[in-house]
Amino acid sequence: MANGFRKLALLGALALAISTAAIAAQKDHYLHIKVDDPAKGESVNVNVPLSMAEKILPTVNRGNLHQGRVTISNEDMDGVDLRTILDAIRTAPDNEFVTVKQHGQDVRVAKLNGNLVVHVREAGEGGHKVDITVPMKVVDALFSTAKKDELDVAAALRALADAGDTLLVSVQDATQHVRIWVDSRSSQE
Amino acid sequence: MLLLGKIALGLAGTAVAGVGLLCSEGMIQVNVIEKRPEGHHIHVMAPALLLPIGMHFAPKEGISEASAEIQLWLPTIRAALAQLRECDDFAFVEVKEPGQQVRVAKSGGSIVVDVNSEEQSVHVSAPIRAMSSAVGELAAAAPATER
Repeated sequence: MANGFRKLALLGALALAISTAAIAAQKDHYLHIKVDDPAKGESVNVNVPLSMAEKILPTVNRGNLHQGRVTISNEDMDGVDLRTILDAIRTAPDNEFVTVKQHGQDVRVAKLNGNLVVHVREAGEGGHKVDITVPMKVVDALFSTAKKDELDVAAALRALADAGDTLLVSVQDATQHVRIWVDSRSSQE
Repeated sequence: MLLLGKIALGLAGTAVAGVGLLCSEGMIQVNVIEKRPEGHHIHVMAPALLLPIGMHFAPKEGISEASAEIQLWLPTIRAALAQLRECDDFAFVEVKEPGQQVRVAKSGGSIVVDVNSEEQSVHVSAPIRAMSSAVGELAAAAPATER
């Protein structure tokens, strides 16, 4: 009898764990943008559910944006073959790929823990500090179209939703701080 | 006497059903409070169903230009409204600056805009369903070639 109860309790706990995991998996992810200017006492917060952006984006057909894809002209890329570069990065181990140090600015591009990471540091007081982290899965999705001159933004949004909580962009200058991140919370509090 | 009672009951039932129908799409609320001595306080609450009905009976020539302009963005607006209906409550935009706050949010099936400044506070709330119907009516008012 006690054994039966134990099995029942175990099954119940298992069912609860599975249903909790299922609910958590279904939870919508939000893209948050926060701009703070403490000196002026100003702040702007924007929150967008990724599922909403994913559904809306393919309906916008204006300019370079069509069916959730952005067309990039050769002039925009200035002769740089991004796909080839990214293929090389994808297959390479975690490492620092590019470090550019020039007058007043350090740029570091690396692949770390499955993320493409870009750090830019400007020298001097109030110089920009830029940190960009993009999961490689998102980069892959962005370049998943058959056409060479297209970026699949809709696919990237889907990949972003799957990637979980991520701080994508952080830009800090003398007065302002801009942050862009993804998490499962609908507010920024 | 019994007949009068039945008629009264019928009328009351019709009135209740009418009010229920009128409020079926929720209510549009506008609340403006001027923050000064003897400032105005305007509070308007109207059934949201009146919005698409009003659009339907509005003179077509009056809204045809707006209707033609909206055609291009119609799929986007429809997709956005459909998604808004499905998603949880959240704030799209919050802007804070000294002396003024603006908040645009989805709350309980409505889009809510709150502006709070030193001079006045404004609160506008409109049900998403009514907005979808109004957009549909606006789209239908376009000349046949535009659609």
